[in-house]
Amino acid sequence: MSEHTGEHTVAELMVCRIASEMEERGVTVLGSFTPLAYASYMLAKLTHAPDAHINGYNALGMPAIELAFMGAEAAASKGSTARWGFLAAVNVVHLANRGNVEAVSSAQIDGDASINLSVIGDYAHPKVRLPGGVGAPEVVQNYRTMLAYFGRHDRKVLAEKVDFATGGRFPVDPEERARRGLQNGPVKIITPKAVLVRDSTAPFRIESVHGDATVEEVVESTGFELAPNPDVVPTAEPTEKQLRLLRTEIDPFGTVQFDFMSGKERAGYLRELIDREWQRAVDALAARGDTGTCT
Amino acid sequence: MKNKVIALTSLGEVVRDGATVALGGAWFSNHPMAAARELLRAGRRDLHVISLIGSADVDLLLAGGAVRHLTFSMVTLEAFGLAPNLRRRVEDGSITITELTALSMEVALEAAGRNVPFMTFTGLGSPATSDLVELHPEVYGYVPDPFTGEQVLVVKAIKPEVTIVHALRADAQGNAQFDGTYGIDDELAKAGDTVIVTCEEIVPTEVIAESAHMTKVPAFLVDHVIEAPFGAHPTSHIPRYTIDGHELLGYAAAAGAGGDEQEAYLARLVGETEQQYRERVLGGGRGAVLAELVRQGKVLTGVAS
Repeated sequence: MSEHTGEHTVAELMVCRIASEMEERGVTVLGSFTPLAYASYMLAKLTHAPDAHINGYNALGMPAIELAFMGAEAAASKGSTARWGFLAAVNVVHLANRGNVEAVSSAQIDGDASINLSVIGDYAHPKVRLPGGVGAPEVVQNYRTMLAYFGRHDRKVLAEKVDFATGGRFPVDPEERARRGLQNGPVKIITPKAVLVRDSTAPFRIESVHGDATVEEVVESTGFELAPNPDVVPTAEPTEKQLRLLRTEIDPFGTVQFDFMSGKERAGYLRELIDREWQRAVDALAARGDTGTCT
Repeated sequence: MKNKVIALTSLGEVVRDGATVALGGAWFSNHPMAAARELLRAGRRDLHVISLIGSADVDLLLAGGAVRHLTFSMVTLEAFGLAPNLRRRVEDGSITITELTALSMEVALEAAGRNVPFMTFTGLGSPATSDLVELHPEVYGYVPDPFTGEQVLVVKAIKPEVTIVHALRADAQGNAQFDGTYGIDDELAKAGDTVIVTCEEIVPTEVIAESAHMTKVPAFLVDHVIEAPFGAHPTSHIPRYTIDGHELLGYAAAAGAGGDEQEAYLARLVGETEQQYRERVLGGGRGAVLAELVRQGKVLTGVAS
């Protein structure tokens, strides 16, 4: 579970930090189950970026929604303003440089901003076969701002070299990217300790540290080289309004906690989430006098 | 007009052992689950499954030993964990995989739908940033841009012998409509040689004509139509029903345990008809709750101030 630091959890701080990257230009795509990113996008739409354009599954221009575990997909469809197949969307968004900001989550990242969603160990004989990267390789290469977030910050996750590069961002040099028709923008890594940034051929540097985390601790926990930065600042703390929106409107069920749980913790927590949402639906049916239900 | 309606129990006669079969849906949305169950009941073996973003559909077929080769960009049980049978079969080397990035796989299917040999999927001289490119020279290659001379990355067409997608409704000719999430089901239908549409309900053509803008797969692409209510269960079919969290917890537990527990889960599925499956998993008003969960899906308006 995400630890509390003062009046908010680290998860909430990370959500607010990612949300601050959202802008009212280009497109963000909501796809693979990345609850912390989902919450960030919704928060941005309810605060500084109401016109941020989000494609949720096949629902384009989706509104801000409550992140119920089962009902979120239906909510994304409601109030969305277009329906497209995935191919139409990826051709126009990922390939044609309309992707603005998206936060991916992977098993590993390294100093080249390569991400691994394929295997732990050797590809042909993996120790752990991971799900695969789906659109993450295209996101990290083609979006203007690439965000990667992680539920833990250690040398296994922020690794010297990923076991396998499912995707990556190359070249890094702004002029070379422009020559190849690629959007130019920073790569930012958001972890429970810090925000790291890379925006040139120089290595990642620490942009900010959260709460009580120290620069030394972040350097020690990072498997790749970090460029010195004399101007490290504290990460902005969530505001009361952000916390209220997150807790009461966007994520009342607490789905963002998934990003900070081990597999075993998840199963019990997931059952609880499902039971609560199921009961809400049963109660709603009962309140309407719908009798087909006795579960 | 030709009536293309067949029974779900005839699926095994259309999809033969060893076939290359593309399955629709994405993540936990709209997979042709009734068809996947039926392929297991028919005892199909050695399938080459093509799945852009698989979940319980692909893992179930892997569990049942129906798959020889998997072409995919992701197979996951998301919050329920890594797909247990993908892990097992890849880690013990008992299936062959072709892992691709999503955009390249979608473009490869688009190429098949257009009957062109390959297509590019990167910008001007954008290099390969994925190790998958080098790993699969049978899928990825480079051609010189005739106008600039730069090397351009291309992907070879991926052509399914059979495509199976699940629609909201279809008529007997195969005009298939979708409202909520449909992934790349439309592209899979264009790419496949034989196209099977399962649907929540078969309706008269007049009903289709009243909302023709919802027809994503027109009849001329379709070979067979199968009525399969709750045919995406336990994945979702918006706007009819959400994912069934309880059933997926049950699947994830059985698949995660493997061995006897998984065998018992499979034996029950294979031993019952689809009608019996629906009665078992949707009884006690559970189907109505899954529909209510769609209604409960909440848009946040007027809360920002």
